Amino acid sequence: MNSEHIVGIIIAEIRETVPELAGQPIGRDDSMADLGVDSIERSEIILAAMEQLGLKIPMVQLHGPRNIGELADLLLTKSAG
Amino acid sequence: MTIAVIGIGVASGLGHGKEAFGQGLFEAPNVFSHLKRDGREPPGGEAPFIGVEIPEPPALLPPRMARTASLCSRAAISVLDEAWNEAGLERVEPERIGLIVGGSNLMAREQAIALRDYSGRLAYVPPRHGHMFLDTDICGLCTATYPIRGFACSVGAASASGSVAIIQAMEAVRSGRVDVCIALGALQDLSAHDLQAMRAMGAMGSTRFAGSPADACRPMDADHDGFIYGEACAALVLCRADSVAGGKVYGEILGAGHVADGSRGPEPSSAGQVRAANLALAEAGLSVADIDTVNGHATGTPTGDDTELETYRTLGLEHARINATKSILGHGLSAAGAVEVAAVLIQIEQGRLHPNRNLATPLDPRFNWVGATPEAHAIRHALKFSFGFGGVDTALVIGAPGTGRRQR
Repeated sequence: MNSEHIVGIIIAEIRETVPELAGQPIGRDDSMADLGVDSIERSEIILAAMEQLGLKIPMVQLHGPRNIGELADLLLTKSAG
Repeated sequence: MTIAVIGIGVASGLGHGKEAFGQGLFEAPNVFSHLKRDGREPPGGEAPFIGVEIPEPPALLPPRMARTASLCSRAAISVLDEAWNEAGLERVEPERIGLIVGGSNLMAREQAIALRDYSGRLAYVPPRHGHMFLDTDICGLCTATYPIRGFACSVGAASASGSVAIIQAMEAVRSGRVDVCIALGALQDLSAHDLQAMRAMGAMGSTRFAGSPADACRPMDADHDGFIYGEACAALVLCRADSVAGGKVYGEILGAGHVADGSRGPEPSSAGQVRAANLALAEAGLSVADIDTVNGHATGTPTGDDTELETYRTLGLEHARINATKSILGHGLSAAGAVEVAAVLIQIEQGRLHPNRNLATPLDPRFNWVGATPEAHAIRHALKFSFGFGGVDTALVIGAPGTGRRQR
């Protein structure tokens, strides 16, 4: 498990949730809000990623990351802890 | 004030859109079969449920909305789009347009699937489930997709919901709250739990016709065995008859009656039905003799059909032509009233009456039933009944275009 693997999971969930982003490159420096992903969609994406990682973390502990890479790093830290 | 219907959108087992509906109503092909959707499996070892499932609605929503829109919502968007475009509502100020969605507990099947799928992993329930199973999610999706800014809400009246949505939409136009109001009879997406409960109650057809679904739905016939479910959805666009500027007018709602008869459950009340009809006739300024066509509630339940026949006798409707749209489409529950008013309006437009399927031995042959083939008939004044569990009785008097003005 590493941050890149988690970034891959998050991006796959983004594409599933917002099919309109097909064809648009998405990387770890992008923020979901800037991509036009709304707040309910963001929660849905994070929950789906957590389930794949076997994590159960209250959403309030996941505020702060400014982009997909930082979110992946935080999830990695939580899964290690 | 007379209310005109200036746009119709419809979905049923006959397909999506008025063209399929207008053709299928008169050809009356069999659309009944065993129900196949996920979440409609019968109890172990029992015969499959019988009914009608509609084809997938046309893809009108953006993909990110479509993936979280229920079948009820996708069907609603399809019929709204058709009615909206026909009525030219893009020319009406959004703040002057209202929407009333008829029906309650509409998405039971998909909610049951969600409960099943997340039962062992509740922590991962998608946040969207916090609103997507609300009946009012249909209002939200419709107003997010079309510029409706007057108001939007849902109304529940069981199987009379579509009719009550029409009555409430009439009131919204008459009061001046809006200039145009859309009444939408929503698709009732029954779960296996609902289907089994209504079968156990004796309201829905039993397993008697399990081997021949085409014969199961037989309103007002001696071999009737209960109602047969049929997915459907319809939208009607209502406005003041004296404000119609040119476009299409299907007909006029001349009067409406909506009463409570004091029943809690499914038991019908002829007294309530008669009262609703008399209120509708009085508002229309007409007598029973003026009614040339009756479109029954006529579900095919033994008690329901007998009670409705008693209502016809009490009112003295022996002279009128009578048909039952449920014989072709099945029972759309929340959608039934709206879909069947659409059927009356299409019959007015085409100048003919749709057949009664499976009416081999009418329970009361003294009435003037339409037979197994369509019949030419110029409807002038039709009486449309819709009843619902919980003691809801409604009746509408529907006139051909112009009938309201000529009366006054």
